[in-house]
Amino acid sequence: MKGTQLGEFEELVLLIVGVLHPEAYGLNIREEIISQTKRKVAIGAVHSSLSRLQEKGFLKSELAEATHERGGRRKRLFNITATGKRALEKNHELRNGLFNQIPEIALKGLNFGGI
Amino acid sequence: MSLPKTYSTPRLVSSLLNRICKDELLEEIEGDLFEHYQTLRSKNPKWKANIYYWFHAFHFLRPFALKRISQNSNFITMYRSHIKFAWRNVLKHKGSTGINVASLGVGIACFIFIFIYLKGELSYDKFHQDSDRIYRVAIDFVDGTGRRLPDATTPPALAPALKSEFPEVESSVRLYPSWGSKFLIGANEESKFYEERFLRTDSTFFDVFDFKVLYGQADGALDDPSQIVITKSMAQKYFGREDVIGESLTIYASENRVLNISAVLEDVPGNSHFKFDFLSRITSDNIDQNWGWFNYYTYMKLVAQADIQNMETRLQPFYESNLRPAEFYNIIYSQPITDIHLRSNLKWELEANGDINNIYIFAALGIFVLLISCLNYLNLTVAGSLRRFKEVGVRKVFGAHRQALVGQFIVETLLVTIIALVLGSLFSEFLFVNLSDILGKEVSLLQPENTIVFLIIAAMIIAIGLIAGLYPALHLSSFKAANAVKGIFKNSGKSVLGLRKVLLVVQFAISAFMIFGTIAVYQQLQHVKNKDKGFGPDQVLVIENAESVANQDVLKNELTKIPSVAQAGISNGIVGGLNWTTGIGYPDQFTMNYVVIDPDFVEAMDFELIAGRNFSKERPTDTEGLTMIINETAFTELGISLEDLEKEIPMARQNDSTTRNGKIIGVVKDFHFTDYKSSIKPFAFFYRQEPMDYLNVKISTENVSETLRAIEATWSEVSNGAPLEYFFLDQTFSDLYAQESRLSSILLYLTVLALFIAAIGMFSIANMTIKDKRKEIAIRKVLGGSVSGVSNQIIKKFIVLVLIANLIAGPIAYFIMQNWLDGFAYRTSLSVFLFVVAAGSTLLVAWVTVGAQSVRAAVSNPVKSLRAE
Repeated sequence: MKGTQLGEFEELVLLIVGVLHPEAYGLNIREEIISQTKRKVAIGAVHSSLSRLQEKGFLKSELAEATHERGGRRKRLFNITATGKRALEKNHELRNGLFNQIPEIALKGLNFGGI
Repeated sequence: MSLPKTYSTPRLVSSLLNRICKDELLEEIEGDLFEHYQTLRSKNPKWKANIYYWFHAFHFLRPFALKRISQNSNFITMYRSHIKFAWRNVLKHKGSTGINVASLGVGIACFIFIFIYLKGELSYDKFHQDSDRIYRVAIDFVDGTGRRLPDATTPPALAPALKSEFPEVESSVRLYPSWGSKFLIGANEESKFYEERFLRTDSTFFDVFDFKVLYGQADGALDDPSQIVITKSMAQKYFGREDVIGESLTIYASENRVLNISAVLEDVPGNSHFKFDFLSRITSDNIDQNWGWFNYYTYMKLVAQADIQNMETRLQPFYESNLRPAEFYNIIYSQPITDIHLRSNLKWELEANGDINNIYIFAALGIFVLLISCLNYLNLTVAGSLRRFKEVGVRKVFGAHRQALVGQFIVETLLVTIIALVLGSLFSEFLFVNLSDILGKEVSLLQPENTIVFLIIAAMIIAIGLIAGLYPALHLSSFKAANAVKGIFKNSGKSVLGLRKVLLVVQFAISAFMIFGTIAVYQQLQHVKNKDKGFGPDQVLVIENAESVANQDVLKNELTKIPSVAQAGISNGIVGGLNWTTGIGYPDQFTMNYVVIDPDFVEAMDFELIAGRNFSKERPTDTEGLTMIINETAFTELGISLEDLEKEIPMARQNDSTTRNGKIIGVVKDFHFTDYKSSIKPFAFFYRQEPMDYLNVKISTENVSETLRAIEATWSEVSNGAPLEYFFLDQTFSDLYAQESRLSSILLYLTVLALFIAAIGMFSIANMTIKDKRKEIAIRKVLGGSVSGVSNQIIKKFIVLVLIANLIAGPIAYFIMQNWLDGFAYRTSLSVFLFVVAAGSTLLVAWVTVGAQSVRAAVSNPVKSLRAE
């Protein structure tokens, strides 16, 4: 079904939300992505992805207390839903399954840095 | 508990976000941005943090975050309808839209072209990194009669002395050009060429100037006299590749010198006031104390924040302290390097200069043409929109606000102006390709440095579009709907009709002005071209490298054996080009220009002896000392009489204040040897029996190519392998008025264009007027008006406007052109003829554009016009 597929960046965001549980919100998700993957992403990109994930039902969110360092604004904290968890598991299994099916010879044949 | 201080975010961003982001997302977005900003500010300076902040805020311009703009939004629907109506209108009036777009587009293209041309002229020497601190020092000669003779050259001792005596001078450098002589340079036996763009300088060259180094290092590139710096294209020419560091070049001269290439430069940019292909060290010895020669150019770079005004006041005392008391008259001064190209124009400039006045003229022309086409556009749009009175009325009845009406008109005018802008830019690209000669370089609007030009013109054109849309919109929307629908607008239309007339008058005034100017410039050019030069430079071929022939007498004899060669004479300069100067005159010294010649030269160049005799090979005394033939001006200047010819008379003062005698043996008719802006100066010929650079060959007009072949054959017999290098002397003379030639042709094109645009404007206005008056014309005819009577009535109105335009333009044009001509010592006079032509041609254009239409309207069957109601 269209809309329930996980994009590459979406999957990354979804995983990070899990990692940061229960404190995941826009800005720290971005920082985590940068520190874990060395990818430069704009805050807007993360928000856009979060909103899509929520539309697809992989994430749910609630507003937390207002804090001073946000100029009195509330954070939106994200949590993985059951559907989200299932989608992640499905992706994980698919990857593992496929990886295990690669014949050993193919990996041996690859030249990892000219050994 | 006190909370830690927070930095407040740029307010503009918040208000923007507020406007474009979905309300339900705004809080988290702003919150995240705010929090991020705190981190940014703690690590970065404010401006940097702000840039990052803007960057991130900008990244929220994504579909998910934006407020939904629905298909049913009033805003979108209205603009869609505006655009649809605008497009329908464009299609409905294909003709007038076409005219609008074409005239505006052409105006835009001309303006862009002129703008880029001027930008190039004004950018001279600004590529040096510290161009604001680089100055050239020049010394003007002042003769005994107090006349000041501007001169760019300076003694070789000046540059080192400036550096050692002025703390403001960071570094100074001398330039010594090739002074017209050619150097035979070779990489090996196979690749040898004659080169003129050979500049000699000091090791400090790159301390003062910045030229882009491709290979090697600018530092130390000229530390040793055995080093040479060449340009990229020379590397290609001699070696077929660019990285030629370590290769060597041989300068073939009386003693061959081998120089090592120490650096390869990017080719010298076109906007440098001196150009060169080779750069090596000045090799003359003992010149650092020489204050007597004037053949070096002196440049200095000041330290940052030096006060040039203050330094300027100390220059003259400094200069005088280095001279002997007798030589006090010369005046020393400095010029910013960036002023040299347009504002200097001294004798012996390194390259022909531009003229700031021509820059002003071109700028004015560019603005004129753009102005005419914009006015034209305004006029046509305003006039055209008046006919949409009923449409506006109906719109109002259906509830259109003023805002919507204004929007409608503006969308329409912007549509047309943007089409014109695109077409105009394309057309200017076409001009750049076809007129790259005038610009002297490849130009495109797509080059990053020219984007600014495009942005300026785009802003202007869009502003014009807004005005053109706003005026009729506000005007038309201010009436009561009922009146508008009924078509009652006679009273209200008056102010618009007045404006229309004013605009037409302005357009035609500019056209008349330009016609007047074009003819005046053309007349001056013809005046100068046809002016008796006092001698015969036509059909004179000048061999430039005659010195490479050992025995010039043999060469001359052989050449004169060719039947079509009338005479050949040698000289060390070119009349109309290179000549030399010395101080002559007693007791008051003045500057005498001179060249050294042999007796045949006088005949070869057709100089007319009006008194005395030519030099003679039989009289050895003719080759001694100050024995000379002078021109009339020099004769008057010396204040001698014809009896003094052949007599030893005091002629010059020596440095030790003794006098030096000389002898005048002949006087030639005055002749032109500089541009026509200055009057004829004193000139003298000396005779020496020695080999010289130039051989002037007078040839007959018939069979020039055959003669050339014969000359080349003769040359190769005696020249020992050196290639023949020559040019025609009349070319040198046309170079003297090259600037005026260029001005004249550009003016001609632009004038035709301006007149064309104005004619288009008048045509369309007349067309509309006649359509509006169809009924009036028909009724007049029914009541017995004749065709000529009816059409004359219409034509008359336009003719009056053109006459008014001429009355305004005539005196202004007369005044300005009179001023321009005052810059010439030899000038044509402005006659009534100019007024007649300017007025005549504008009237003719008006007559033709209006006449044909009005006659057609007048002969049409009145029933057709009247039966509609």
